[in-house]
Amino acid sequence: MEIIKELIIGLFYIIVFPGLLFLVIYGGLSEWLDRKFYAQMQNRQGPPWYQPFADIIKLMSKQVIIPKAADKKMFKILPFIAIAAINTSIFMIPIFSNSALYGFRGDIIAVIYLLSIPTATLFLIGWSSTSPYATIGSMRVLTQLFAYEVPLLIAVLGPCILAGSWSIEDVAVFFTNNPWLMLVNIIGFLVAIVALQGKLERVPFDIPHAETEIVGGVFTEYSGRLYGFMRLALDMEMVVVAALINAVFLGGSFGYSGWIGLLLFVIKTEFVVFLLSVLKAAMARVKINQMVDFCWKWLAPFAILQILICIVARFMING
Amino acid sequence: MIKNLKEKAVTWSRIKSPWVLHYNSGSCNGCDIETLDALTPRFDIERFGVLLKGSPRHADVLLVTGAVTKQQAKRLRRVYDQMAAPKFVVAIGACACSGGVMYGCYGVLGGVDKIIPVSAYIPGCPPRPEALIDGVVKLLSTLKK
Ligand code: SF4
Repeated sequence: MEIIKELIIGLFYIIVFPGLLFLVIYGGLSEWLDRKFYAQMQNRQGPPWYQPFADIIKLMSKQVIIPKAADKKMFKILPFIAIAAINTSIFMIPIFSNSALYGFRGDIIAVIYLLSIPTATLFLIGWSSTSPYATIGSMRVLTQLFAYEVPLLIAVLGPCILAGSWSIEDVAVFFTNNPWLMLVNIIGFLVAIVALQGKLERVPFDIPHAETEIVGGVFTEYSGRLYGFMRLALDMEMVVVAALINAVFLGGSFGYSGWIGLLLFVIKTEFVVFLLSVLKAAMARVKINQMVDFCWKWLAPFAILQILICIVARFMING
Repeated sequence: MIKNLKEKAVTWSRIKSPWVLHYNSGSCNGCDIETLDALTPRFDIERFGVLLKGSPRHADVLLVTGAVTKQQAKRLRRVYDQMAAPKFVVAIGACACSGGVMYGCYGVLGGVDKIIPVSAYIPGCPPRPEALIDGVVKLLSTLKK
């Protein structure tokens, strides 16, 4: 009896909340907000709120074409692997309260690595569809991965050093208790936002699927349901990284839970989405070499500077 | 009942989210400029859920401009075959509808409907962006029936 009960609760976590269903709905709404902000900044009206859901339903009902030259098994399985990795990582991030479902010490590293699995699947997607555009796209995905991943990881480590813990929960609790110390991390926060733009492949760094150069990038050969799942995975990833930024840099839910926690979560994650879309609207695409240059010459040194500041601050707190 | 509901949802989503692909099969470029015009923020067709897609695999509506030349016929056919069903074709401009001023030219086969089935014709030389948007919206509203 106990086992069945636990099984049902576990399935609820995975499928409904905070798993698949929550991520899909919240991801869709975030995508809409992102597109709406973007449209408003271009002085237009933008899509209606149901737009991402209409897109997904339409894609799900379309025919799936698998090219003859593609690796069929990989081609079909990869989108689900990406979704599974993102779905797993949400369990370690606190959402409506300051405690995560399955938090453990060192979970921040686990989350960062789980979040790079979707990028790896993007590479494999391009590689297994064997079309020249997709192959070029996947090479760019990898090049970009090595550029933004290091600054992102270093930037996220700053708050951990300050809080003296490797668990996301502890970091959120630490900032809840000392909200002013959030200001110490402002450089790291900005570095993380810019690096996320590369991780989510959005405008200044959307080089892997630059429409004007390489058609659809890694997605060129994807159609119908499989492409829908891939879009869903990217939406879900946006929610998860926004939740991560919220927990690590913005103090989680400030100790509240329930409805106030929910409200704070929505406000702060949408604030992160807003910052991401401001960057998207304000910039044009850069070339891949400029992107790598920028990440290594500017982002990484700033992230390291942030770590130094955090170490100094840590000594000052401890007296 | 559930099947009915599902069908309704699918039709609704198809009407609300037409992704377009633009293809030039031998136009004088007048129609292309108007098509690109329609995609600018001024007309804001993202209101209707229209997005311009680069890859035929993602698109639902193929916008073809210009008369089909003998060189382009094979390519047009291939692009059409690469699209995932259900797919629609809109012929933009007098040339795409029938051959227009290029009709009877030695290198020209004629209108788009000689090569692939066309769902909507938008006449004009070139048609205004408003006409284009109206055409796509009308095409989608026929889906309801
Ligand atoms: S309809 Fe007019 S503008 Fe369009 S391709 Fe033909 S000649 Fe050019």
